[in-house]
Amino acid sequence: MKYICLIFILFQTELIAQISPGPRSLSMGSAGVALKEVWSLQHNSAGISEIRRPIFAVGYERHFSDQDLSTQKAVFAIPFKQHVFGLSIHRYGINEYSDQTAGIAYSRNFSGALALSIMLNYHQLSIHKYGESSALSMNVGMQYRISDKFWIGTHISNPSNSKFQDLLGSTIPLSLSFGVAFEFSDKVLIISDIHKVLNATIDTKLGLEYRLIKWFALRGGMSANPFKQYAGFGLQYHRFALDVATSSHPNLGYSPNLAFSYEF
Amino acid sequence: MNFNCKYLGFIFFLLSINPQITYAQDDDTDIIEKILDILSSELGEDQDYSDIAERLTYYRKHPIDLNNATKDQLKELIFLSPIQINEILNHSLEHGPFLDVFELQSIRSLDIESINLLIKFVKVTLPPPFKDMKFKKLVQKADHDLMIRMGKILERQAGFSKLANAKEANYQGSAWRILTRYRYSFSNTLAASLNMEKDAGEQFFDSSKNKGFDFYSGNISFRGSGIVKKLLIGDYALQFGQGLVMWSGLGFGKGAGISTIAKQDFGLKPYSSVNESMFLRGASGTFKFRKLSFTPFFSKKNLDASLTDQGKEVSTINISGLHRTKSEIGNKSQLLSTIYGAHIQFNSKSLNIGFTSFQTQFSLPFSIGKSLYEQYDFRGNLLMNLGFNYDYNYRNTYFFGEVAHSKNGGSAFINGIMSSLSPRVSLVLMHRRYAKNYHSFFNQSVSEASNAVNESGFYSALSLKLDSKWDLFTYSDFFRFPWLKFRVNAPSSGYEIFTQINYRMNKKLNLSSRFKQQVREENSEANSGLETVDKQNYRIEIIYSINDRFSFRNRAEMVRYQKGNSKFELGFLNYQDIIYKPMSSRLSGNIRLGIFDTESFNSRIYAYENDVLYSYSVPAYQGKGVRFYVNARYTLIRGFDLWLRYSLTSYYDQKIVGSGDDEINGNKRSDVRMQIRYQF
Repeated sequence: MKYICLIFILFQTELIAQISPGPRSLSMGSAGVALKEVWSLQHNSAGISEIRRPIFAVGYERHFSDQDLSTQKAVFAIPFKQHVFGLSIHRYGINEYSDQTAGIAYSRNFSGALALSIMLNYHQLSIHKYGESSALSMNVGMQYRISDKFWIGTHISNPSNSKFQDLLGSTIPLSLSFGVAFEFSDKVLIISDIHKVLNATIDTKLGLEYRLIKWFALRGGMSANPFKQYAGFGLQYHRFALDVATSSHPNLGYSPNLAFSYEF
Repeated sequence: MNFNCKYLGFIFFLLSINPQITYAQDDDTDIIEKILDILSSELGEDQDYSDIAERLTYYRKHPIDLNNATKDQLKELIFLSPIQINEILNHSLEHGPFLDVFELQSIRSLDIESINLLIKFVKVTLPPPFKDMKFKKLVQKADHDLMIRMGKILERQAGFSKLANAKEANYQGSAWRILTRYRYSFSNTLAASLNMEKDAGEQFFDSSKNKGFDFYSGNISFRGSGIVKKLLIGDYALQFGQGLVMWSGLGFGKGAGISTIAKQDFGLKPYSSVNESMFLRGASGTFKFRKLSFTPFFSKKNLDASLTDQGKEVSTINISGLHRTKSEIGNKSQLLSTIYGAHIQFNSKSLNIGFTSFQTQFSLPFSIGKSLYEQYDFRGNLLMNLGFNYDYNYRNTYFFGEVAHSKNGGSAFINGIMSSLSPRVSLVLMHRRYAKNYHSFFNQSVSEASNAVNESGFYSALSLKLDSKWDLFTYSDFFRFPWLKFRVNAPSSGYEIFTQINYRMNKKLNLSSRFKQQVREENSEANSGLETVDKQNYRIEIIYSINDRFSFRNRAEMVRYQKGNSKFELGFLNYQDIIYKPMSSRLSGNIRLGIFDTESFNSRIYAYENDVLYSYSVPAYQGKGVRFYVNARYTLIRGFDLWLRYSLTSYYDQKIVGSGDDEINGNKRSDVRMQIRYQF
């Protein structure tokens, strides 16, 4: 019974699982198309364009407080002048069902205001007793700085509409998202995204980060469709950073998310 | 559309009169309307805003001196948040007295909108150069304010007609509504008020048993500056903490701004509304010893109630205050309630702590309802309530909350944080948890249901001033009802999302758009389970002034209602207001012409309507038709004002309007209202 239940949840959340934001973004309503951090590799790789030192991060997310259902992920970014390269791996699922993705991204900053990026992803899906399949997909992303305090971003995921060939019915979602980030002061950052997935509903997200002191930030957010509330915090110690987030779904419960990063 | 041309002609005639004498406008219904609009994201039909309107009108006439303002006075303006109030009070401590009201601009948490509202209610009086001049202040006089309002629905309603086989009409009285209101105040220390009211259909001096008006309410109050701060005999209201145990009078919850979510209590105040149920009748006072204040209270009041068949138990309390039919008259004053208790409060500059305890005794016990959802309702005839409330201001953050318990019942908690993260960003987070067996007859805490019981929820709101022209306010609220409710036969949950964007292009043009979505569960029509009910509101409003006399307002609103998988229902409302308000004239007024088309009761739309002073109506627009009203005020001589209002709803393709005793034969309902006020 539990197995059936999980499969049901997995298929329901499949679309969400494809975007697996880092805890900073997740705690801000899982918005973040206009955010700039290493976890941007997960939802708009243009966000790594301003990285100046190599950085490595690992993360773990447990879905709906279920012991078995989780996502493990790792990201790495390295800059060469204004060219930034990124690597991202993530695995989602349980033993009977797993979805693994590895991606490589290239991002470039033009004149400090515009950043463009392209990313290639290799997806592997395996369902127990049904088989395995793999596919390649591509993402493109853009970020543009309108003013010192205000920037926007756009991201298109899988525009070529790649599919898993062997497992019919399992798709890689084609989605478009648009986001803004607004820095109200050096302490307050507000971000908001509109995210449309092909053949699914449109979601709006809103997030807030409040940097209470230099090394500690509180975050919160919400998304409208499905309705979820989010909260989290971030700690920074020299080159280490720890980010913790949780999302709360009215019926399915909490999904805690944790990540750790190190800047070389 | 079929409104009377005679009236239009009359209005144009009035408009064409050239003002010759200049009179200062001492009230500004527009400002009050704006404030009410901010306070309540969903105005209800049955609420009485006259109390707030009266208070705001008072401060329009007698502005608060910023250099002598007290916390209580600023709280009374209700549109200020606790953080704003603290910063205003601290400003003069830190930077010396205000020299000009525009100094308010330097206060961090005050945005332009709040300043624009606030300067209408405050002034700056410079400290007198010689101390002797203070004596001049003491010479003050008595103020009298007398107001009479009459109104009537012009079409005949079924309740006033004798049916074929009945002896008499259902409604025992005439169709006129009459309100007489008198206020007396003497140099801000002694005040008295009297309200006398008769609703449509109620008797008025026309039977041997009848004692004139149907409802009388009044009080005499004293305000002191020594140990005795307030003393009051008669009808009064009490507001403590977050309203979990005691909050009589109007309480706002989730509104279109952050100022209302943390309630700001006034303690004891004279009751001035014409709502016939939510108040206390007896005596109370507030005594202050240094930082402690003590408010004992006693009340003995008759309530309207329907009794069980044997007449030994109460089945429901009736709060409408209507006594039109024989059965309504029969239910009048069936139950005696006696309330006594006290509130103790510790006040310091940033920390306030209060403790409330009171007992309510009823002359008859409450019966328990048969339905399962009523299982945890109040029973018996004795209720003891305890409450502990706090608020604390630390830098840019305000903490507030209340814990309450009803004896032999459950507990209730509400806790929140309000913080201005930067001058342009404010955040509110609030958690609430009310037990299914928490009982209180005077609770008005923030809740999704009408009472703070059987609910838990989390509310978060964000207010952003993007720049001097744009601002955005948004909140989300998730709630859960652990026990069954009326028409919800299982534990249920839901959420609410609200977003409003304002754009002030310049002083003359203001644009706003609003979105609200409420999702909750209700019994299914088709099977025994629950179904999701999704209601969405979309609104666009434009306000612009053509010149210094005329301003226009347009609103378009749409409601989309959907239950389960059944087809959605739509409702539309579109109206045009013309507001005529010259800077100096004897005459001012406004006109509305609106078109509405709603598919069903569920997709009805509420909209605020201008009315005569102190009166506010928020009717539901339902069905298909046209709505028109005209509202005029004329100042005969200084202190003597006259108001006239005519409204008409004309329905398309409808042979009757209303139902039951309110039914009208025909497709129109029109209403006329007259009011005079004499101040001396």
